[in-house]
Amino acid sequence: MAATLSPARARRRPAARVWRDRLPGIVMGGPAVLVFLAMFIVPMFLAFVLSLTDWNGYSLNFTFIGFDNYAEAFRNPRTVDAAVFTAVVAFCGTVLCNAVGLFIAALIAGNGRANTLLRTIFFYPYIISSLIIGFLWSAMLAPEGAVNGLLGHLGVGPVPFLTEVGFAKASVILTIVWSSFGFNMILFLAGIKSVPTEYYEAATVDGASKWQQFRNVTLPLIAPVFTVNLVLTLVGLLKVYDIVLALTDGGPAGSTQTIVYQILRDSFGQSELGFGAAQSVILLIVTAVLGLAVTFARRGAEKKVAD
Amino acid sequence: MATTETTTATGAAAAGVVRAGTAADAAPPATTPRTRRPHPRPRPGVGTVLKWVVLGLVALVMVVPLYIMVINAFKPQDAIIASPLAITPDTFSLEYLQAALTSEKFNVVRAYGVTLLFVALVNLCGIALAAPVAYVIARGRSKWHLGLLLLFVSGLFIPGQVTLIPVVFVLRVLGLINTIPGFILFETAATLPVTIFLFAAYLRTVPRDIDEAAALDGAGKIRAFWACIFPIMKPVVATIVVLNSISVWNDFVSPQIILGPGSGIYTVTTGVYAAVGEFSTDYTTVFPTLLLAVTPAILFFVLMQRHIIGGLVAGATKG
Repeated sequence: MAATLSPARARRRPAARVWRDRLPGIVMGGPAVLVFLAMFIVPMFLAFVLSLTDWNGYSLNFTFIGFDNYAEAFRNPRTVDAAVFTAVVAFCGTVLCNAVGLFIAALIAGNGRANTLLRTIFFYPYIISSLIIGFLWSAMLAPEGAVNGLLGHLGVGPVPFLTEVGFAKASVILTIVWSSFGFNMILFLAGIKSVPTEYYEAATVDGASKWQQFRNVTLPLIAPVFTVNLVLTLVGLLKVYDIVLALTDGGPAGSTQTIVYQILRDSFGQSELGFGAAQSVILLIVTAVLGLAVTFARRGAEKKVAD
Repeated sequence: MATTETTTATGAAAAGVVRAGTAADAAPPATTPRTRRPHPRPRPGVGTVLKWVVLGLVALVMVVPLYIMVINAFKPQDAIIASPLAITPDTFSLEYLQAALTSEKFNVVRAYGVTLLFVALVNLCGIALAAPVAYVIARGRSKWHLGLLLLFVSGLFIPGQVTLIPVVFVLRVLGLINTIPGFILFETAATLPVTIFLFAAYLRTVPRDIDEAAALDGAGKIRAFWACIFPIMKPVVATIVVLNSISVWNDFVSPQIILGPGSGIYTVTTGVYAAVGEFSTDYTTVFPTLLLAVTPAILFFVLMQRHIIGGLVAGATKG
C-alpha cells in the first residue's frame, strides 16, 4: 500500500492497477470512517456553527449572531456558577480519587486472598451506572434517610446533606470519590505490581525503609500510571452529569449544577440550542487544553524515571 | 515488596489520606502512629494491625450502602426509616420487589432485554467496523494511515455530551432520531476511538508472516483478514467487549436524548430515571427498583471480574 503512493512507483504502474491495490483498504476502512465522520467530526463542526446562531432547535429560521453566545456564557451567572462548581468537583475529585486510590493500592498490593477480596469491594461501584449510584446515595443522605437514621441513634441531629449548599456540594464530591476511586486503585495496583522485585531487593540491601522504598522506588516507577490516572479522572469529571442529576438534581437552589447539566438543560429543556452549543464548544476546548496540559506537565516526572 | 507493611512513616501518611476520604473513621487510627514515634523499632504487628483496621473501615463504607439497598428492598417505608440497617422477619416482605418487577411505569424485564440487545448490537457493529480499519492502519506505512489513526484517536478527547446536540440534528436529517438504529449508530461511533486504538496496537504485534501465508492461499485481502487475522485478535476483542458492554449498559444521557421518552423504549438507566425520578422519597419504590437495576451488573462483575479489571487496565494504560 505505502509503495503505491511514492510517485516513481506509481508512474510505472497503470492507474487502474493502483486503484485495484487500494480497493481492499478502502472497503475495509470506509464504513468506519463514514460512521465516525457522521457521528463525531461533522457534529463537532456543526456544534461550532450552531454556537454562532440563535437557533432554538426546531424553528426553520435562525440568524447568525457572531460570538454573542460565547460572550453570554461568560456573563451568565448560571453558567459561571456551573463552571466554577465543575472546576471544584474536577479538582477535588481528581485529587481525592487518586490519593485514596494510591493509598489503598499500596496497602493491598500483596497477593493474599484478603487483598483480592478487598480489591473487589473497593472497585465494585465503578461498574454500576453513576445514575443509580446517585439515586442510592440520594435515598441514603435524605433527611429521613439511612445515614441520618444512624446519626440519630448516635444523638446527632439530622444533617442537611443534600438540602444545604455547602453540604450538598461536599456530598456530590464524596459520592463521586466513593464510586470511582476504585478505578484509580486498579490502575495503581497494576502499576505497582509491574515494578520488578529486584529493585526492592536492592533497596532493602541499601537499608531503605518500606516508606523510602515506596517514595523512591515505587512512586517514580509508576509515574506513567499516575499521569493516566490524573488525565482520565480530570477529563471524566469535567463532564460529570448523571450522578448530579440523580443525587441533587442540581439543587439546592441550583448550587450543584455542573456545566454539562447546564448544556443539556439549555439545549433540550430551554430550547436554546445555540447557547448550549457555545457552552459545549467551550467545554471541549477546556477539556482538550487541560488534558494536554496535565500530560505535558507530567512528562517531566516521567522523564526522570527514564534517565 | 512495596506493600508497605506499615512503618511509622507510612502509618502517618495512611492516616492523612484516609482523613481525606472518610472523615469520621480516621480519628482512631490517627493517634496510633503518634504513640509509636518514641520507639524507632516498633513491635512487629502494630503496623499490620493498623493497616487492617484502616482497610476494614474503608471496606465497611463501601459495603454498607449495598447492604442497605438489598435489605431495604424487602421492607415497608416506616421500617426503612426507623431502622435502615436492620431487617426482622415480621417486616420482611417480597411485595415491594414484586411491585417493582411488575410496575407499569418501568418494565424492568423488558428493559433488561432492550439494554442487552443494545449491548450486543453495539459490540457487533463496533467490532465489525473497527477491526478491518484497525488492520489497514496497523499494516499501512504511509502518512494517510497515520492520519486515519489520529482522526479516530481525536475522538478520545471529544466528550460525547459535547457532540450530542448536533448529533441530534444529524440524526433528524437522517430520519433516525428517536429510533433504535439511530441510537446504535451513535453508540457504535462512540466506541470506535478506543476500539480502533486498541485493535491497531494489538495488530502491530501480530507478525506480517501471517498476512503473507494467507495471501499465498489465494484468499482476497478482506477474506484473509476475517479468516486468518481476526481469530488471532480474540484477547483484545474480549477486552473491548468488556469495556463497551459496561459503557453501553451504564449510559444514560445518550439513550435519554436520542431515544427520548416519547419513543417508549427504555433502557435500564432511563427506565430507572423514569420510575425513581418522581418518587424519590417513596423508598419502597426506590430500593427495589435500584436493586433490580443493579443485579445484572453485579452478577456480570462477579462472574467476569478478572476480565473486567484486566480489560480496564489494558484500555487505560495502552492509551
